[in-house]
Amino acid sequence: MWRYALRRLSFLPIIVFAVSLLTFVILRVLPGQDPALVIAGQGATKAQISQIHAQLGLDHPIWRQYVNWVGDALRGDFGTTYQSQASIRSEFVRRFPASFEIVFLSLVVSAITGITFGILSAMYRNSVLDYAVRVFAVFGASIPEFFLLTLLIIIPSYLFNYSAPIGGYVSPLHHPWTNLRLFVPPALVLGIGGSAALMRLVRTTMLEVLRSDYIRTAHAKGLSQRAVIIGHALRNAATPIVTALGMAFVAIFGGSIIAEQIMSLQGVGQWFFASTVLRDLPVVQFLAVYTATVVIIVNLIVDLSYAVVDRRVRYN
Amino acid sequence: MATLAERGIAPGREAWEYPRERPLLARLGRLAAKNPVGAVALLIVVAFFVLGVIGPYVAPYDPQAFDRYARLQGPSAAHWFGTNSKGQDIFSRVLVGARVSMTFGLVIMFFGFIPGAVLGIISGYAGRWLDYLIQRSSEAWTAFPQLVLVLTFLSAFGPGLRNVSIVIAIGALFGGSRLLRALAIVEKHKEYVAAARSTGATEFRVLWRHVVPNIMPYILVGISSVFAVAVLAEAVLSYLGLGLSPGTPGWGIDLASSLGSAQHYPYLVIFYGGAISIVVLGFNLLGDTLRDILDPRLRGSR
Repeated sequence: MWRYALRRLSFLPIIVFAVSLLTFVILRVLPGQDPALVIAGQGATKAQISQIHAQLGLDHPIWRQYVNWVGDALRGDFGTTYQSQASIRSEFVRRFPASFEIVFLSLVVSAITGITFGILSAMYRNSVLDYAVRVFAVFGASIPEFFLLTLLIIIPSYLFNYSAPIGGYVSPLHHPWTNLRLFVPPALVLGIGGSAALMRLVRTTMLEVLRSDYIRTAHAKGLSQRAVIIGHALRNAATPIVTALGMAFVAIFGGSIIAEQIMSLQGVGQWFFASTVLRDLPVVQFLAVYTATVVIIVNLIVDLSYAVVDRRVRYN
Repeated sequence: MATLAERGIAPGREAWEYPRERPLLARLGRLAAKNPVGAVALLIVVAFFVLGVIGPYVAPYDPQAFDRYARLQGPSAAHWFGTNSKGQDIFSRVLVGARVSMTFGLVIMFFGFIPGAVLGIISGYAGRWLDYLIQRSSEAWTAFPQLVLVLTFLSAFGPGLRNVSIVIAIGALFGGSRLLRALAIVEKHKEYVAAARSTGATEFRVLWRHVVPNIMPYILVGISSVFAVAVLAEAVLSYLGLGLSPGTPGWGIDLASSLGSAQHYPYLVIFYGGAISIVVLGFNLLGDTLRDILDPRLRGSR
């Protein structure tokens, strides 16, 4: 397994390199709008524009710009933003904790509700609980998260004249209570909304497993329901569940951009969104490569964890 | 879509000996009675398509007209869904918004999913380097959060509904090619394909007259989910200010422009959000039902 992991890891830089080239082509080479126009405004003179070009290094040939970007990035320098000329790296470091917290909390909520209710609904098939789970799984996948988040802001304020705290970031270490008040509501919405697909998949997988012969054997030799579910059924259902968790992560990762924007959380996703609106290309370039890297690493972890949850899996 | 064998068509029998197929309506009725949820879903979907066509003509008010004497009125007999802060009738705007969403879905289907489906069939059927190229690209594309791809493209080309539809269509293209490729690979090894070939049918004829009808239901499942994704994507991107321009009727953009007064008048957002949710629900349920009919083994397990 370690050799397999090492080989996969050695591909990582190549893929990241390819992604950075691709995003560079999309952002700089394809005929989009000139970023200098965005900065200087529509009425800019030719001289102003070429001055901005010189400032941003956009007067170099395009391959030179890319080589410069890669060279700087390898030294840990991701350039500066167009808007404020601030260091992209330090801005990222400042914003990362908020994003990490919202994604982490949502994923935990999603995994706990999705797996628990998926299993329960398969165990008590056609019970009231099962129907509730199935209805929820369909509705949860249909009601858009941005609508739920909007309701999260509006409804408490309408009914109780209470508005959930919105915006900013406080460290969970210094002000744990304020921090949780800020992050738990959106994390619940994202997590429970995202758990619909997971719930459905866990239920289907468990139903399939529960129907199999070894489960009947396990029951027949007198094992308790609990031992059958945990020791036999769950272990055999683990592989698809891990795959689904990986997909849930990607969905939540994308959904967190919307959540951060709506709840004004000072995270990476909100920065990505704001930079798109402002056409701040270096930031978008960096964040696209960052997202790709995270997704690739998560996929790698998912692939490797198959061996952990299912001892029969051998990599070669 | 009964196959010849099911209709009892065999060599040596005269035409009048074949059992007649039941009339289409009767067959549909039986199908609906067996799948009430699917029937409701189909009804929702058809209703919104009809609204998309006739919405602007049946809307009781001009959705763009300001009426400063009728601002922020709750739902009433005159204004079924109430009015917004400019005095525009929300019911009319929801009706007109249906056209935006359904058109967007159609655009994504025709310019994304269907070309993707064709590519996928060719790719799965012909294989080789084309297959490799299409598959690697679509794997890379579908692995990322769609929103990230959309944001990256829009920062290069600027916001607006046209650019949004291009990116979403590319996503649907790759999604369609993956789905159809997998199906084509399964189908091409089946006996009926060999049988059709042995009668001297050209490759195109085998594909068009034999393979495509056999996988048609799966294509419908795909289209159903493409519509759900497209309606959602248009709504969320317009809501975030990257799609439709403010003022145009559209569920997502209207929801966003209601935010200012929504804390005191929550009905402002309920109807737009409700419309989006119901349409997406309709397409999701329709897709689920089709899948259940196709794969009875899964019935009741989803």
